[in-house]
Amino acid sequence: MSIAEALRVALSQIWAHKLKSLFSLIGVVIGITFLIAVITVVEGMNRYVQEDFAGSLFGVNSFSIVQRPTVQTGNYSAEELRRLARNRDVDLDDVEAVRRAVPDARYIAWRNASRMDEVWYGERRRRNIRVIGGSEQYQAIQGWEIDRGRGLTPLDQQRALKVAVIGPAIAEKLFPNGAALGKRIRLQAHRFEVVGVFERKGGLFGNAWDAAVLVPYETFNQTLSTKRDRVREISVKANNQREMLAAMDAVEEALRIRRGLRPGEENDFHFQTSSGLLSAWETINNILLAAVPGLVSVSLVVGGIVIMNIMLVSVTQRTREIGVRKAMGARQRDIMLQFLAESSIVSLVGAALGIGLGLGLGKLVERLSPLPASIPPWALAMAIGLGLLVGLSSGIYPARRASRLNPIDALRYE
Amino acid sequence: MEGSSQPIIITRGLRKEYDMGAETVYALRGVDIEIQRNEFIAVMGPSGSGKSTLMNLIGCLDTPTAGEYVLNGTPVQDLDDDDLARIRNEEIGFVFQTFNLLARATALHNVELPLIYAGVKAAERRDRAAAALDRVGLGDRMDHRPNELSGGQKQRVAIARSLVNQPSILLADEPTGNLDSATSADIMRLFVELHRHGQTIIMVTHEHDIASFAGRIVTLVDGMVASYDAKLGPTPASVMTASAATTP
Repeated sequence: MSIAEALRVALSQIWAHKLKSLFSLIGVVIGITFLIAVITVVEGMNRYVQEDFAGSLFGVNSFSIVQRPTVQTGNYSAEELRRLARNRDVDLDDVEAVRRAVPDARYIAWRNASRMDEVWYGERRRRNIRVIGGSEQYQAIQGWEIDRGRGLTPLDQQRALKVAVIGPAIAEKLFPNGAALGKRIRLQAHRFEVVGVFERKGGLFGNAWDAAVLVPYETFNQTLSTKRDRVREISVKANNQREMLAAMDAVEEALRIRRGLRPGEENDFHFQTSSGLLSAWETINNILLAAVPGLVSVSLVVGGIVIMNIMLVSVTQRTREIGVRKAMGARQRDIMLQFLAESSIVSLVGAALGIGLGLGLGKLVERLSPLPASIPPWALAMAIGLGLLVGLSSGIYPARRASRLNPIDALRYE
Repeated sequence: MEGSSQPIIITRGLRKEYDMGAETVYALRGVDIEIQRNEFIAVMGPSGSGKSTLMNLIGCLDTPTAGEYVLNGTPVQDLDDDDLARIRNEEIGFVFQTFNLLARATALHNVELPLIYAGVKAAERRDRAAAALDRVGLGDRMDHRPNELSGGQKQRVAIARSLVNQPSILLADEPTGNLDSATSADIMRLFVELHRHGQTIIMVTHEHDIASFAGRIVTLVDGMVASYDAKLGPTPASVMTASAATTP
């Protein structure tokens, strides 16, 4: 009997026992659905982090100098964090050193320690906002676009004017009828004139920026800051990757000189880059992708046992049929092939349904969150391969039992 | 026996014992028979006489405990499972008391079954199966499933299936056991017809009027041949024509 023939016989059997076949593939469906859905979401997050997240935090070809990381990622040990906490604070002299070290940088910006606060306009209030005191190129380095009004100008900075550019979420809350420009908002005891509104960034991480207030660095220094002249972060954006690496070398040297570090002494400041963040993400990503097959294999083993059980029942129920086939000249391997084909088809159909459902779940996540659904081809190949593996391995024992039945006993079986 | 053609079946001292725990059941205690090509033989005997065991051995569904069995020139007592399967496929056509058709398959597909295991291509398989069904008078029932056929029609499908591979012998185990007497006579007329065209037939039965269609009757008692060459006389013409209810 050819494989094609075995498949045909198996298909007609499966079709004849639709309900039983459906139940027997449920385990595999669940396992594969889970596999595909998780991989879809993880890959989507992956793409999102690489394309949007890292870029929106640091910008491409950018790095920043900080006392300790502003973005907590999993790749710092407790030991390192303690060491980073002992670093010297960054201040305006450091800014000056950086500016001299990389005069050709596309942008250089610095900001104060931002703080969570609340903002008032008359009786209206928006809580949980972030106030940032940024230098004049800060919004350019962050890639923030102006929706209405204007951004901060050099004049605002020089004169430490009490002006603010607010995020769209704040504008909506405080000015429901839309007229935000020229209004005076209150931050703690200080009044600021709204000169512009940022465009909505949206997205999973952009939401925080949509509720931000940007004021001139010097104004923040004089009004809201608890530690004057402190700089939380100096950001440098280069034109390309090569220039960025050169700029990092130049900045490192300049800061070491300014801070009087001797050769061999460790830096008492910290570089933060988007590639550093990406590598941290990659670590998380790899752990996730390594853990998923383990979890999935548990459900697939269960699915395989379900198929095996139902196949064993099926062999018993079809003992006479096996006897008839043997009397008609079926060899052991013909019977074996027939049952293996059956278990494989059931399992592969389960895998196909699982792929469909998994992709559906991925699409659902895409609709409900900013994560794009992304399924790599290897995941599909893996799902099909696992389906086949489960089918063959769960079918082999029932198939052997069927193929070894004595024809006489099988024919006489009641 | 001394003729130019070799017997199609020769058994020498064929024994079959079943170990039933403490005691051993001797189903066959040394059976010597020879069957010539184109014979129509009935194997009779009371229940427990070993006639079904003999049929199973002849049909290569089972292997003897001792003794020799030469089928169509091939000693088969020592063959392995796969060789036996091939012999069942090529040399033997089975007709069972309970028909043993695949319930969910059409008549045509049932008849195709031996051809599938013979590795015949689909188109040829279809043609040959259709021709076999034509031969048993069921050319218009090919797409019917067993539950849409009468008992006699089911047995005809089974006969078509047994013939489709042009086997050396047709083995029928109580082929009329589940049929009424009129249908039984129909089936027997079909056997006589097949025999007339050269088909070798070995049939187990316990009914004398069914056995009377055969050319020779071998009777087993207690696992041994009691009478080897009995005849119930020529087949009565009355039974051939009228569907007489002669069952005692």
